[in-house]
Amino acid sequence: QEVDMQAQADAIRTVFSDPTNFNVKHPLYSPWTLWFDSPATKGRNLPQTPMSSFPQTPLPQTPGAAAAQGWMEDIKRVISFDSVEEFWGMYNNIVPPSQLPQKANYYLFKEGIIPAWEDEANKNGGKWSIQLPKDKNRSNVDKMWLYTMLAAIGETFDPQLSESSPQSLITGVIVSTRPQFYRLSIWTRAAPTGAGEDEKLRERIEAIGRHFKISVLGYSESQKLAGPLATEVEFLSHKDSEKKGKAAKKPWVV
Amino acid sequence: SSTRNQNISQPLPSALATARVIEDINSISYPDGIKSPSVELNANAKQGKFRYDRDFLLQFMAVCKEKPDSLPPLDAIGLEPSDQSFTM
Repeated sequence: QEVDMQAQADAIRTVFSDPTNFNVKHPLYSPWTLWFDSPATKGRNLPQTPMSSFPQTPLPQTPGAAAAQGWMEDIKRVISFDSVEEFWGMYNNIVPPSQLPQKANYYLFKEGIIPAWEDEANKNGGKWSIQLPKDKNRSNVDKMWLYTMLAAIGETFDPQLSESSPQSLITGVIVSTRPQFYRLSIWTRAAPTGAGEDEKLRERIEAIGRHFKISVLGYSESQKLAGPLATEVEFLSHKDSEKKGKAAKKPWVV
Repeated sequence: SSTRNQNISQPLPSALATARVIEDINSISYPDGIKSPSVELNANAKQGKFRYDRDFLLQFMAVCKEKPDSLPPLDAIGLEPSDQSFTM
């Protein structure tokens, strides 16, 4: 019996020992879906993303959800994957952010979560984001986006993810290309409301922002990033993002 | 094995499709020069719920190059590189 088990262990082949004939793959903590949109995906002779590719969870019948569904028709599902090997197969065969047209977005979200505020998993959440001037960051943005995706799929953004709290706070990550800047965002499932009892949540969200700034984007802790076309790494709940003008909330900065 | 007779022009998709999911991340031994995933991140990992550090993940970049079967043709979803020399 021991001999059999040994033979079985010896027969395990990862992609490193046999790139074409491997027989085990590395599962991800959660399955993910990559979505894409750009001016070219809106209408114009492209097949609609079939309804069957939407998450199986029933959409709530609210005006918000209906609006999200309409908007989702312009967003194309690129691929869903649940292993490290598939992630890289995808990564090596798609277009990096620096080569995307203007006004394009990649949305990498956990499978079953629509990349919209209206999704149940996002509606009480918020996002850490940074805006970077395009001319100074064209050579950095691909690495920044790759490292952002790796922290998401490797599930290392949320340091307090553990056996006692097994649900990650991260729902998805986004890169956006605009005529003069790039934006990177990390979406969270929850956001502090200001009520006293969410001090723990505040600490957990702040740790995600700091990890994003320092370990993922490579800035130093005290580095000031705001400038022409540039912002700090800043957090806003989705609810506060909707408030404009005088009611607008100042973002929380790390 | 029965996979020998398959069209050899597409070996990786079949490996990706047929490979088993690793159940115990700490039982896997990697070839010399390949770093194992962070033990700390997986101290209490349940089956299949593994976390991976960036250095571990980056090692796959040069190895997993084949287009997955489930990736649609990029022009069919409007995902094409822009020619930067004209748009900039």
